[in-house]
Amino acid sequence: MFLIFKRLWQVNWAEQWQYRANLLMYLLYWLVSPIIYLAVWTSIATANGDVKGFTANDFITYYMVLLICDQVTSNIVIHTFGYKIQDGSLSGELIKPIHPMLTNALVNNVAFKILTMFGLTPIWIILFFLFQPDFSSVTLTGILLAIPAMMLAFLIGYFQSAAITALAFWTTRVYSIHEFYFALILLFSGQFVPLPLMPQLIQDIAQYLPFQLMLYYPIQLILGNLSTEQIIQGYVMTGVWLVISWLIFNWVWRKGVKKYSAVGA
Amino acid sequence: MTPTISVQQLSKTYEVPEREGGFSAAVRSFFKRKYKDVKAVQEVNFNIEQGEVVGFLGPNGAGKTTTLKMLSGLLHPTSGTANVLGFTPWELKNDYLRSMTLVMGQRNRLSWDIPAADSFLLNQAIYRIPDDEYKETYKELDELLELEPLMKKPVRNLSLGERMKCEIAVGLLHRPKVLFLDEPTIGLDITGQARIREFLQEYNKRTGATIILTSHYMADVTALCERIIIIHHGQLKYDGGINDLSKKIAPFKLIGVLMENADAHDLSQYGEPVENMEDADKKFIQVKADEVTRITSRLLADLPIRDITIADPPIEDVIEQAFNA
Repeated sequence: MFLIFKRLWQVNWAEQWQYRANLLMYLLYWLVSPIIYLAVWTSIATANGDVKGFTANDFITYYMVLLICDQVTSNIVIHTFGYKIQDGSLSGELIKPIHPMLTNALVNNVAFKILTMFGLTPIWIILFFLFQPDFSSVTLTGILLAIPAMMLAFLIGYFQSAAITALAFWTTRVYSIHEFYFALILLFSGQFVPLPLMPQLIQDIAQYLPFQLMLYYPIQLILGNLSTEQIIQGYVMTGVWLVISWLIFNWVWRKGVKKYSAVGA
Repeated sequence: MTPTISVQQLSKTYEVPEREGGFSAAVRSFFKRKYKDVKAVQEVNFNIEQGEVVGFLGPNGAGKTTTLKMLSGLLHPTSGTANVLGFTPWELKNDYLRSMTLVMGQRNRLSWDIPAADSFLLNQAIYRIPDDEYKETYKELDELLELEPLMKKPVRNLSLGERMKCEIAVGLLHRPKVLFLDEPTIGLDITGQARIREFLQEYNKRTGATIILTSHYMADVTALCERIIIIHHGQLKYDGGINDLSKKIAPFKLIGVLMENADAHDLSQYGEPVENMEDADKKFIQVKADEVTRITSRLLADLPIRDITIADPPIEDVIEQAFNA
C-alpha cells in the first residue's frame, strides 16, 4: 500500500507540476477575498480603536493564519473528479483494484496543496512585511495542536466534497450543489469575519457544524486563544464529524457506483 | 473442467429518457419523463475455455461492448449470470480485477501529461507486481511491441498507434488470465493493426491467456480467432468456428466500378446493386464469389470502365445478410 501511495505521489506531483502556471492563477484568485477582508477589517479597527474587542492586530493575525489554514483544510475534489463521473472516464479507474477516491484523487489533492503552498509562501512573507503582525501569542504547543486538527479537518472537508462530487452519478448539476456547500463554509467557518463578530444565532449554529473546524478552530488554536476545555471540545467535534462525513461519503459512493453500473458505465 | 468464462441468460436493458423536440415537450418532460427500454443484450449464453481467442462480431449497437462491460464488471446485468475465473464480475472483487484486463479506447490507464514510464510504474504498484516479475514482463512486452523508445515521452506526444501499444502493454503488466479487448486496432494503419495482431497471437501462445476481442476489421478476426460469436440486436446469432461462417457467407464479393456517364448503365443484370456511402463515385454490385471472374470480364467488355475494384463486403453487411436474409 505504501508503494501505491508513493507512485501515486510521483505521478500526481508530475501532473500538477505541468499545470503550475494554471495553479498560480488559481492561487491568486483564491487569495483575493481573504486579503480584502484583512485590509478592510484592519482599517476599520485602526480607525475605531477596536471592533467588539478585536484590535487591528487581532484581525491581521487572524487573516494571516487563515491564509495558511485555508490552504491546508480545503480541497478541489469536485473539480478534479466530477467530470470523470460525467464523461465516463471513471470506468477505467473503477476496474482497478484500488479505490479511486481514496487513493488517486486524495493524493492528487495533496500534491495540489503542497505546490500551491510554494506559491503562497512568498505572498505571505510580503503581507507579513506590509502589515507587520504581532504574533507574540502564538506558541509551539498551539501550532503542534493545530497541525493534526487541520489534517483531520481536511479529511472532513474531503469526504464531504467527495460525497457531493459522487452525486454526479445521479445529476449533472453537482457544481451548483457544491457552490451551495461552499457558501455554507464561507458563512460558518469564520472566513468572512471571525465568528464572534457574527450574530449570536449564527455563532450558536456554527458551533455544532463542521465548517468552523476547518478555519476558526485551528486559527484560534494557533493564536493561543482557546481554553483547555475548548481545545478538547474542538477535537471531540472533529472526531464526530470525521466519522459522520466518512459514513455519508461511503454510503453515497456505494449507491453511486451501483447506479453507474446499472445505467451504463 | 469448468470453463474460464461462462455466461447464462445474460441480459441488459437500458432505460433511455425520451422526448419529442420542441418547447412544450420539454416542459412536459420536466414533470413526467418518458423512458424507453432499450434491450442491449438479450439472454445470451456461451462458454469459453481457457486459452481460447474469441472474436465478438456485430454491427454498431449490437451489444458487443455492453457484453464486454458486463464481463469485466463495469456493468450490472438486468438479469442472468456470468462467471469469469470463478468470480461474478460485477462484484468488482479486487482478486478478480487483478486477474483480468479491459482495454477500451486509447485513453484509459495512461496519464496524459506524463511519460508512459511513470504510468507503468504506478500500475506495477497498484497490481502489486514484484520487481523481478515486473522486469521480466516488461522485457517481454518490449520485445514484442518495441516500447522502450516511447517510454520517456509524455503520452500526449505519442501517435495514435504508439499510444495503443502502450495502452495494451500497461494493461498486461499484471499478466491477466483473461483479456477483454474492445476494438484494439481501431484507428491504426495497416502495419499498426498487423503489429497488434501478431502481438496478441504471440501473447496468447506464450501465456495461455483467454482473449475476447471485438473488432470492425474482419482481418483482425480472421487472423486471431478460431471461434467467433456474432451478436445482432442484442441476440446471439452465431457461435462457432470461423471457417463454418465463411462457408455460409463468403460466397459474396463486392465489385465496384467507376465509369463514364455512370447513370446511363444498368448494373442489375450483372449482380445485385448495393448502396455504398463511402465511395459515392463508384457503383457497387454484389456477386457470388465463384462468379467474380466471369462477371468482371463481362463488365470490362460491355461497359466504359475507368476503374474496377473487387473486395470482401464490409463485416456489417455480411452479418446483416447472413442473418436477416
